[in-house]
Amino acid sequence: MAAPALGRALGRLGLLVHIAAKHLLMRRRQTLVAVSGVAVGVGFFLAVSALMVGSQADFVKTLIDTAPHIIISDERRSPPPQPGVAAYGSGAVQLHGYKVRSEVRGIKDWQAILREVNEIPGAIGSPSLSGAVTLRVGGREEGLAVVGIDPSIEAKVSTIADKLRTGRLIDLERVQGGVIIGEDQAQRLALGMGDIVAATSARGGTRNLKIVGLFKRGQMQLGSGTGYMLLREAQSLLGRPFIINRIGVKLTDPYAAQDVAAQLERRHAYKAESWQERSADFLGLLLTRNVIMYSVVSAILLVASFGIYTAVSNSVADKRRDIAILRSIGFSQGDLQLVFVLEGVVLAVIGVVLGWGLGYVLMEILGSLKFPISGDVQRIPLDRSSRQYLVAAGASLSSGIVAAWLPARKTALVDPVDILRGAV
Amino acid sequence: MIVAEPAPVLITRQLGRSLPGDPPVTLVTGVDLAIEPGKFTAIVGPSGCGKSSLLYLLGLIDRPTAGQLMLDGQDVTPLSGDERARIRLERFGFVFQFHFLLPEFNALENVMLPIRRLGRLTFEEAQDRAHELLGQMGLADKAMKSPDKLSGGERQRVAIARALANDPILVLGDEPTGNLDSVNSARVVDLFRQLAHQQGRAVVCVTHDLEIAELADIRVSMLDGRISEVRRK
Repeated sequence: MAAPALGRALGRLGLLVHIAAKHLLMRRRQTLVAVSGVAVGVGFFLAVSALMVGSQADFVKTLIDTAPHIIISDERRSPPPQPGVAAYGSGAVQLHGYKVRSEVRGIKDWQAILREVNEIPGAIGSPSLSGAVTLRVGGREEGLAVVGIDPSIEAKVSTIADKLRTGRLIDLERVQGGVIIGEDQAQRLALGMGDIVAATSARGGTRNLKIVGLFKRGQMQLGSGTGYMLLREAQSLLGRPFIINRIGVKLTDPYAAQDVAAQLERRHAYKAESWQERSADFLGLLLTRNVIMYSVVSAILLVASFGIYTAVSNSVADKRRDIAILRSIGFSQGDLQLVFVLEGVVLAVIGVVLGWGLGYVLMEILGSLKFPISGDVQRIPLDRSSRQYLVAAGASLSSGIVAAWLPARKTALVDPVDILRGAV
Repeated sequence: MIVAEPAPVLITRQLGRSLPGDPPVTLVTGVDLAIEPGKFTAIVGPSGCGKSSLLYLLGLIDRPTAGQLMLDGQDVTPLSGDERARIRLERFGFVFQFHFLLPEFNALENVMLPIRRLGRLTFEEAQDRAHELLGQMGLADKAMKSPDKLSGGERQRVAIARALANDPILVLGDEPTGNLDSVNSARVVDLFRQLAHQQGRAVVCVTHDLEIAELADIRVSMLDGRISEVRRK
């Protein structure tokens, strides 16, 4: 029973599409205008959204991956109260010889925290110690924020290895007193690969360091005054053996960072900052950017659907006679509305297919552009996934159907009696 | 031998149609009429007498404002627009004064429209049926011609073929010869008589041509929206 009914429904649809297509073929210029409107709309939709989504993905990736997804530091959101305050609270007391307790900085019991982090599925933790040292070369002095790392673990957690102009992260382990500093700083101090520089920490330790690598300039996450050393050597240089003050955590799913960070912070009281928290301002900016993009792109598609509205509206006005004839033959009002909605659908479908082609070409052009930025050739990041094509098609088809349906309703106002008797 | 009178296809009871207004304009009023199969019925009268209005009521294109319309004993007055469209598609065929073919479709495609809409035949069967009908109208070689390449008489015969596409029980003509010369006109009237007498359909024609009315089996005269006389041959 169902099969013949379906066959009849398809046959009816085929007939109505046939009529709609004939109408469009008779009005070639209008059809062309409407179709090109949709095509241009879809093409630019694709180009703009590929650009915006692509650059956003690239941006977020940079944001997420340059630094660890979660950074556990030796700070607390609010420091523990001084013993005096804890003991007497808000009472009015006078104490003599009271000594303010100075905290020993560094993450206590960090091995346990690290073990726990590594037990979270998909998570890797990298301990590090950072501190300030002064570099001294031939009478010139410059501060260096030194970070002690375990190169093999840190490479899994952050992308610093990619930021190297020369040298390798693993060289830190091979060379006694090896250090990697930024290109800029090396230039200021007139240092090159393999040069020796004296470093003095605030606690008085002094060591000679050897340059084993240079970072590229212009990296947001790495200030020009950051340098990397082996964790063990940094601990001895800074006079803080066995101490670390930071654990960087990388997750397989970066978007879980907020939850994992909150969980770690609850358990250990140390501040665990997710990349989302760190970059709230940037993410806010991206939201604004998306709102702007989608309003512009929707406006393009809306304008494209005006073309369909005009074409179908004129077609309804022109084909009043045909409407009356078909009604007399026994086509229902629904049939005739559908004929004109289908005109819109046909226009939209052809427009979408042409627009896909146009969008593809525009993306090829955008993708072939090269920009030299600080010595590197960079290309525009584009999101060329099929999802964009489907979104563009879906949006134009639905706006096309609405744009055709509005004038198609007017077929109901055509009174066949008036037309059949009045006879043009 | 007793031959039973075939039951009428359509029966009207006090059928009326008026346009809303102040005062309302009466187009048709108090019409009691039976349309019989196998008979050629002509509706005649001066222009503005309501004969076309009555035809559109009989053809379920227009809705009456008074009275009843019975199709095969069923009251079709309260039916919805879609149900009335279905009846027109399955059981009625229309021929108008002007040819009223769809200009974008050729003769064959025009005849196929109602068959395809009904959807009982496959596309190929529909094509065969349309060819057969055009052949019967003497237009076998014009099937692929577009309407503007056909003469007036040819167009009207294509329109008749289209009206017959779904084998209707009732064929309605609104001045079907109004735009034709006398030769083509005679040919169309002949066709209409055949549809009634040989094929047993009910044929109703509105005409102001008294010669045609003379050839009808039943002549219904109208005046001021009412039936003034019904004359059977």
